[in-house]
Formats: sequence, structure tokens, C-alpha cells
Amino acid sequence: MQNTQSLINEICPTSTQSWVRKGALIVDVRENNETRNLMFDVPKILNIPLSHFEERYIELSKNQEMVIVCNDGIKSLLATNFLINNGYDSSKVVHMKHGLIRWVQKGFPTIGDTSSILDSEISNSCCASSSRETSKNSCCH
Amino acid sequence: MKTDIKVLGPGCTKCKTTYSNVLEAVKQTGIDAVVTKIEDIEEMMQYNVLTTPVLMIDGIVKIKGRIAEIKEIKDLLSK
Repeated sequence: MQNTQSLINEICPTSTQSWVRKGALIVDVRENNETRNLMFDVPKILNIPLSHFEERYIELSKNQEMVIVCNDGIKSLLATNFLINNGYDSSKVVHMKHGLIRWVQKGFPTIGDTSSILDSEISNSCCASSSRETSKNSCCH
Repeated sequence: MKTDIKVLGPGCTKCKTTYSNVLEAVKQTGIDAVVTKIEDIEEMMQYNVLTTPVLMIDGIVKIKGRIAEIKEIKDLLSK
């Protein structure tokens, strides 16, 4: 059993925008059926579905700053945990909590139809749901 | 010693089916086992899992990312 949860840095969608502006890679771990209708509109993005993540995570450079994303922040949390357990630096690999749902609610750029995802509701605020350590760039201090 | 069986998954249909299949397989084989369902995401992370459901027997991942069928669980338990 491994215990890396405390090492995982979470950031909210607003902070993710800062990371994107600084050149971070967005790693979208949603499955193909999820990305088909709606995608993040960011300069650097790579889709590695969680179902293929074990085989493909080596495509990710350990020197690259990256934000792991998904629909609601659950798959991305598992993927981030996996990367940290496999030697990635937790200061360079962070997880975006609340996922694409919150990203869309914030009005951040996407490509595709947002109507289905806007039907999803998350009651927690950006900073309410986690006791995990937050990044220095997070809005959640 | 009791066999330690864990089913990891966030409570999706596949996870529930796997859990009920495990219970049925244990019943059919009559083995002495402790079956635990782990639905908490943070607890799942301790096992470094990516895809669910996950069937673990005595600490070893046997099946992941799909429903474990009763017959194959029975086969795994009889080894």
C-alpha cells in the first residue's frame, strides 16, 4: 500500500489558467466518449484516457509542468496519485479539482457543446472540499 | 487464515456487480474470507489504482477495470 495523498497538489480552474499561461501541459484523462463532445481549449493539451494511462504515462516528461484534468476531478486525482507514485515531482504535476464541470461554470474556454456538462452541479465551492495541500499558485489559500 | 478480498470502486454499477459477484463466489466456494468494499477515493489511492473496479485477493490485484465474473473469482479463490 502506498500513501502519497498528502503529496498531491490540487489547484482550482482559475489557478490552472495561470499554469496554462506559464506553459503547462494539460493532461486530459477522460475517455474518448467523454472528450468527443467537449474539450478544453488550451494551447498545450494531451489526451491520455485513464483506461490507457498505465501504458502511456511514460509519454509525459518528468521535467514538464502539467495539470491533470478530467470531468469532475476524480479520475484526475487517481492519475496524479499514480504519477507521483511513479516518480513524478509533485511540484510539477498537479491535479485540477472539480474538473471540466467547474471549468465550464467559470466560463473558461472550451471547444464543443457545454450544455450537457452544465447540467452537472457541484455544491462545494472552489476551496471547500479538500484538506489536501494546495499549490502556491492556488486561489485557495 | 481468512482470505482477504477487497473490491475497490467508487460505487458505480460495475463495482457493485463485482462486489455482489465476490459475495456469491465466496458463498459457492465456502471459503473463509473477509470481503471489504472500498469506495472512498482517498483510500483507493493508497493502492495506486487507476481503473475500477479492482478485485484484490490477499493484497494482490487480480482483476481491474472490469466486472469480475463469479466463475473467474471462484477460479482465483481455488488457486
